[in-house]
Amino acid sequence: MTTQPGEAQVTPRPSALARLGSLGPLLGLGALMIVATLLNPDFLTLSNLSNVLTRAAFIGIIAVGATFVIISGGIDLSVGSMAALIAGSMILIMNAVSPGVGTFGIIALGMLCALLIGAGAGLLHGTVITRGRIEPFIVTLGTLGIFRSVLTYLSQGGSISLGNDLSDAYSPVFYGKLLGIPIPILVFAAVALLGGLILNRTRYGRYVQATGSNEQVARYAAVNVTQVKIITYVIQGLCVALATLLYVPRLGSASPSTGLLWELEAIAAVIIGGTALKGGSGRIWGTVVGAILLVTIENVLNLTSIISVYLNAAVQGVVIIIVAFMQRGKKVG
Amino acid sequence: MQQLKNLALLSLTLLASAALAQTKQVMGVSIPSADHGWTAGIVYWANQTKAELEKQYPGLTVIVKTAKDSNEQANQIQDLSAVNKINALVILPQESAPLTRPVGNLQKKGVFTVVVDRALTDPTAQNAYVAGDNPGLGKVSGEYVGKTLGGKGNVVVLRGIATVIDNQRVDGFESVLKAKYPNVKILDKQYANWNRDDGFKVMQDYLTRFPKIDAVWAQDDDIAVGVLKAIQQAGRSDIKFVLGGAGMKEMIKKVQDGDPLITADVTYPPTMIRDAMRLTAKSIMTKTAMPKSTIIPSTLVTKSNAAKFYYPDSPF
Amino acid sequence: MSQPPAAEFINVTKAFGPVEVLHGVSVAIAAGEVHALIGENGAGKSTLMKILGGYQPPTTGEVQVSGQPVHFRSSRDAEARGVVLIHQEFNLADDLSVAQNVFLGRELGGLLLNDAAMNAEAHAALSRLSVPIDPRSKVRDLSVPQKQLVEIAKALARDARVLIMDEPTASLTVRETEVLFDLIRNLRAQGVTILYISHKLEEVKALADTVTVLRDGLVVSSGPASELTPHEMANRMVGRELEDMFPPKGQPGERELLHVEQLSVPGWAQDIRFTLHAGEVLGFAGLVGSGRTELFEGLLGLRPRTLGQVRLAGKAVRLRSPGDAARAGLVYLSEDRKGKGLLVDFKLRPNLTLTTLQHYARPLLDIGAEQRALERAAKDYGIRSGRLDVEARLLSGGNQQKLALARILEADPQVIVLDEPTRGVDVGAKREIYLLIDRLAQSGKGVIVISSELNELLGLSQRLLVVREGRIVGELSGAEMSEQEVIQYATGLKAAPSHTTPSILESA
Repeated sequence: MTTQPGEAQVTPRPSALARLGSLGPLLGLGALMIVATLLNPDFLTLSNLSNVLTRAAFIGIIAVGATFVIISGGIDLSVGSMAALIAGSMILIMNAVSPGVGTFGIIALGMLCALLIGAGAGLLHGTVITRGRIEPFIVTLGTLGIFRSVLTYLSQGGSISLGNDLSDAYSPVFYGKLLGIPIPILVFAAVALLGGLILNRTRYGRYVQATGSNEQVARYAAVNVTQVKIITYVIQGLCVALATLLYVPRLGSASPSTGLLWELEAIAAVIIGGTALKGGSGRIWGTVVGAILLVTIENVLNLTSIISVYLNAAVQGVVIIIVAFMQRGKKVG
Repeated sequence: MQQLKNLALLSLTLLASAALAQTKQVMGVSIPSADHGWTAGIVYWANQTKAELEKQYPGLTVIVKTAKDSNEQANQIQDLSAVNKINALVILPQESAPLTRPVGNLQKKGVFTVVVDRALTDPTAQNAYVAGDNPGLGKVSGEYVGKTLGGKGNVVVLRGIATVIDNQRVDGFESVLKAKYPNVKILDKQYANWNRDDGFKVMQDYLTRFPKIDAVWAQDDDIAVGVLKAIQQAGRSDIKFVLGGAGMKEMIKKVQDGDPLITADVTYPPTMIRDAMRLTAKSIMTKTAMPKSTIIPSTLVTKSNAAKFYYPDSPF
Repeated sequence: MSQPPAAEFINVTKAFGPVEVLHGVSVAIAAGEVHALIGENGAGKSTLMKILGGYQPPTTGEVQVSGQPVHFRSSRDAEARGVVLIHQEFNLADDLSVAQNVFLGRELGGLLLNDAAMNAEAHAALSRLSVPIDPRSKVRDLSVPQKQLVEIAKALARDARVLIMDEPTASLTVRETEVLFDLIRNLRAQGVTILYISHKLEEVKALADTVTVLRDGLVVSSGPASELTPHEMANRMVGRELEDMFPPKGQPGERELLHVEQLSVPGWAQDIRFTLHAGEVLGFAGLVGSGRTELFEGLLGLRPRTLGQVRLAGKAVRLRSPGDAARAGLVYLSEDRKGKGLLVDFKLRPNLTLTTLQHYARPLLDIGAEQRALERAAKDYGIRSGRLDVEARLLSGGNQQKLALARILEADPQVIVLDEPTRGVDVGAKREIYLLIDRLAQSGKGVIVISSELNELLGLSQRLLVVREGRIVGELSGAEMSEQEVIQYATGLKAAPSHTTPSILESA
């Protein structure tokens, strides 16, 4: 065999800057937390941190699903509307079931229905996108409108509220704690861990990344690309349903403003976390940090009054762009 | 002689058609589609009133149309004029400025225009104006908060969406406190966008930030729903009451039932569309003048008068 | 010599970080000559040419153009001095027309574009190359050789005096190559200097006036092409005596491994039938665009097709997807390494195991086992990389190809279809791939090789099938296998229904 010393040299070690860049979102969150504590020491109280994480759970769980969709090269714009529809349908179903089933039974049934609707919506998206060969942007933009107007129709424009007894029985799912940690945070952590495991340590996760990196290569390498894509949308649907299971007991109601713009927040969390919008590579922990970061910005703004409330959205925008800029270092390597 | 006969015939026909015109009237009602609780109430009451008025005035046809944005609404009122040949238009505009000219055009064609809630930028384009009282809502609320706290205490304010309506309410609220209850302190005012989720989040953060809050002015019943949940979760007992606004039926019910936190509400009723439609119908059917401006006052609802404001069938 | 060299490198070095890849190179390229630059991958050819093209500055040393020192900061600077680099992967916008591409970045006209003038000038530039391409046709609709001509026309329209061509014949067939060579000679006659980089030494011998051999960042020799045989060039490139490129051919067995009947791929192939035996290397020859690649993509279910019967090792099988094929023991290596072969942004490990991931799922992936497989494959297939945890795009062409081969062989297939297995691969790696093909055949597997390099097909296969316009038009074995025979079949001069002479322009 011939030796070619020249070749070994073209494989440089990732630069220090690049490695720092991949930690961009974490550094951004750290910096934001320091600023927040300086502005209002109450930020670091256990109850406030637990509020922040609980709020991040909704967007975060949805964003974990979105990470799969985006890595595979797709996009789902309908998640906010889907959440609203699932919440509304779930409440209507639970209200309609006869009390004979028992409160626990009714709630379990409602949860099951929510998961089925979420998975079904995802299956619909995946199938239309792959078999029907329509751009995911268009398909999910279409269902974004459809889901929300179905909910508006069901609620006659008002709100759909869970009956009082059910509401009381169900509320521990949001307000309850296990080992001192609010349940939504535990669910969020579990979803993130499971998502990370699936993405990085299973065949399916590898296929998702390969499909997003280059669909043709994956297809030629004997990967069933169609199936891989459909399942990403089902995962997304299940994540939305799971987030909704936690959302409904919070207010016990759904309205046409439920989940408004969640799709943008979820996608933003994914991208801030370092997943490429064009697909191929990404990471769940980044998404988790991204979701927490978005919620933290909002929290900090509410905890202080140094900036005019009229400029809230501008502050959010600036922070998001700065974090994305820090993230950019990754591509230098 | 023949000529005279012809003339008589002609005048007879004219008379008949004039009489017909008097009994046959078409009223167009253009309102935003039901995208949140209050507009859902508007849609509900518009349809209720349509049935009621068509029964009351046999010659009257009422056409109710909903629009999701200003653009759609502008097209819609054009159609109402061109296709449905309406004699009167009752409109709750999505936005004031973009709809001023389209409404003015109809008025020039002889349509009687009545604008509800959001006044046009050119007041000459509207024949009559019917509205709730936003500064009044703020003042009534300020009065209630100041009085109930006995002129002393800490209040947090949750605002709606940055609009004129929101500003008028908050200005009214603050002016009363400043003038009559200078010892009531407003701790902060943040936007909660007239929805429950944001009400919950903003209130959570207020609770973290301020250890002692005496009262919450949420100015809107949807926001108040979120506020209640946040207080409940935090288990705080320092807050004496939460004052919403608009008159959502669930909130009125709480007032009626003597809820410990929801002790009162201030109306900004979607029934204003009913009032506008009734006034307009009366004016065109009986050929009587309609007042140029009708302000429907915001009323304080307490346990004693709550039954009067409770409409269990309305979605709002 | 009164005229200064068209371009000259004087003691040029180039370092990337601490790594120096050029260690003081001095070469003069005389005006109006065809100057070939040869060397193995990693020898520094690309770096040298990028320095002249203005894509990278030298670390030390000087570059002169027409006797003047130059300091290019970008390819635009170089173009301004008449030096244009034509990349191996074309720099053309597929959705724009030929004329729009030729004038991209320096459009004619004021506020409104003057399309008529641009079409006319592009037409003039193309006529200078004596190629009848309509300047208004879209680049997407052109064949590979036509695109190459557009690249050259683009350079000429920019008044190129020095043309750097990076492996221009890599994806051309024999005939297309000849057309290109006529063109290059024609340009030389017009006074254009050409710096020509190639792995194909026969071509260098046929075309170049001067040959410079680079090895490990140093000039080994630079002198008239007439003084070197291709074999000597190869020896200088690797720095030692090179054995025969091709291993001796083995004897194919009798056992049928793969039998395909009545395979048709609409628009590409009709009624294909063939048989492959155990231990056999079967070559598929034909012009670019003759349907060889599409035929096998159809067989694997990657394209719409109709299929009579497929028997693998005597058993009828249904192949609806590459997955079915891999399970049945048939694997295919695409000719399009970056588009269909490798996940270039992925590291080596996931690339290696993509097709055989089920062996590592327990049910969680055993990353350690994957890593061991990679280390084993790197040794078995001679994949050379400084570190193994790098992205595939950082490997040289030859090592990428070995990685792609390793992946399909991980599936332990019976039948291996290799489409252009040595495209863009240097001499050393080529020989390793030939040896590997031989090893596979010796172990009783069946290998199908599709290639546009005739000497490769002749050197490797025991039997050759010639494809022309989607049909198998000839079968050659033993003594019948010669270059002339194959070309006659491939161009329709022999045993073909019609006698149209295909030109470089029809082969799209």
